[in-house]
Amino acid sequence: MREIPDWLTDNRETMALAAMLTPPYASDSLEALAAESRAITLRRFGRTMTLYAPLYLSNYCSSGCVYCGFASDRKTLRHRLEADEIVRELTAMKKLGISDILLLTGERTAAADFDYLRKSVEIAAQEMQRVSVEAFPMSVNEYRALADCGCTGITIYQETYNRERYEALHRWGPKKDYIDRLETPARALEGGIKNVGLGVLFGLSDPVEDALALYRHLRYLGRTWWRAGMSLSFPRMRPQTGGYEPPFPVDDHLLARMIFAFRIALPDTELVLSTRESAAYRDGMAGLGITRMSIESRTTVGGYDNPENKEEGQFEIFDDRTAKEFCTALRKKNIEPVFKNWEPAYNGPSDGNKATMHHGETEPCH
Amino acid sequence: MDALQLGSYTFSSRLILGTGKFSNATVMLEAVRASGAQLITVALRRFNREQAEDDLFGPLSAIEGLTLMPNTSGASTAAEAIRAAHIARELSGSPFIKVEIHPNPQHLMPDPIETFEAARVLASEGFLVMPYITADPVLAKRLEDVGCASVMPLGSAIGSGQGVANAAMIEIIIRESGIPVIVDAGLRSPSEAAHAMEMGCSAVLVNSAVAVAGNPPEMAEAFAEAVAAGRKAFRAGLMQKSGSAIATSPLTAFLGAKG
Repeated sequence: MREIPDWLTDNRETMALAAMLTPPYASDSLEALAAESRAITLRRFGRTMTLYAPLYLSNYCSSGCVYCGFASDRKTLRHRLEADEIVRELTAMKKLGISDILLLTGERTAAADFDYLRKSVEIAAQEMQRVSVEAFPMSVNEYRALADCGCTGITIYQETYNRERYEALHRWGPKKDYIDRLETPARALEGGIKNVGLGVLFGLSDPVEDALALYRHLRYLGRTWWRAGMSLSFPRMRPQTGGYEPPFPVDDHLLARMIFAFRIALPDTELVLSTRESAAYRDGMAGLGITRMSIESRTTVGGYDNPENKEEGQFEIFDDRTAKEFCTALRKKNIEPVFKNWEPAYNGPSDGNKATMHHGETEPCH
Repeated sequence: MDALQLGSYTFSSRLILGTGKFSNATVMLEAVRASGAQLITVALRRFNREQAEDDLFGPLSAIEGLTLMPNTSGASTAAEAIRAAHIARELSGSPFIKVEIHPNPQHLMPDPIETFEAARVLASEGFLVMPYITADPVLAKRLEDVGCASVMPLGSAIGSGQGVANAAMIEIIIRESGIPVIVDAGLRSPSEAAHAMEMGCSAVLVNSAVAVAGNPPEMAEAFAEAVAAGRKAFRAGLMQKSGSAIATSPLTAFLGAKG
């Protein structure tokens, strides 16, 4: 069994973050962190919020994650979107104003394999301004092929950095390999993917330990891949289709503390909050540290072209407002919703951490 | 007239405004008007042809008397910036391109190598190239050599509000430059803009300081006044700074009058 790398346990870099996150907390400390976090966010990102939407391509899965509604032993109806359905979904999403999307699949299966994913990215990159992928771990060459087709971002969560918990929660399938999962973001960057999204799924293990490990992971990648764009997400366990009860629940206050502390520790990093959170929580957080939010989320396969779809999703959506309603709420807070904050001219693979000036050869697919 | 000359274009205002980070387009447009700026930069990634409400280019192009300078913010290589410049020229019709190449989207520091390469190609294609650079006097001369319309050294990191932290290097750039030097990024207050102009900068570019101010249009106006005052002071000739007091009994009196 391969060992955990030293950078993941080195606590020298995380002392300031640990001081903000470790109890006991001073009674007024959360308010002070919020004020500092807000000031940094305003200065660096201004009064704007970049918006994106997820599109579930397939819910086939070969992994046995205890907590997931799409795990391979669940009786959920399985299907995937075919090319013409993807186009219909994208058309419906564009009507909502969406131009920045995240394509999702389960763990690699014969029904939804790399080739299927690559073709889906190709279709999406023709319709959308920015395409990111949250799917299964891939090889460097596979990431390179996705980057060539216009994929600029990969989201891959470690879920928990506690190895023992990780191995117990991921009962079978390729995801069971903790170290392989840990090395995946680096492979994506090596393959020319420009942005990696990291995160833990709060609720699975000790949240503060996980948060500190997440920070070390991000810093390690930043030192090794100097061009890497990175973002952090703060998903926390909600009741899943499988009825899993999170053993380390993170309450609203602790989640807020996490977000503020990360903003202060990482003034320039994109921080993401999804529709797993309630409307009130998301509105409250806008402007205080979060700079990217999902909208109009469906966690069923497809769902934009046929909103009446009643099948079970991967997890429950707590903020189910329309894009229009959400934008109105942001504007009330004096924050401008930004749908297009990218330009397809910037698609195509990054040179990773190699400093060369010969980039012109590779044109994106579209 | 004491005009700012960029290529064949002349501008009476020496304040250039950025258009990102505002809470909404209405406030941004009010700030643009209040600033009196005639040259405005807008990121190509904020052009949205499919959704008018999300588009910054449309409302700006409707204002008379403005020259738009698209920028390539978001590009991480020369090839991407060149592609973006071509698209921007087609969409906006403007010959100006502000070359911004950030290889790392976290800290937004410009890549000198990629920037030079993009500037060289775009200048040869007839663009009025305005490269955003770190305050490096040699790079500035290199960019002048390949035909840039100006150089735009950063005062300090974008959005940092640390003012002209690179003053010593910017002074060298100004002294040596045959093209306008425009301080771009890092300014927080009008007094810092005035300081940059007193140093001899040809113009300043401001975005965050106006966009996130309590009252953006009022702050835009304050910057305009500071830039004009700084320019006037520069032209009037500032009193020389002295590191020590001038002795009333000259130290060299013992030498007697030179005969």
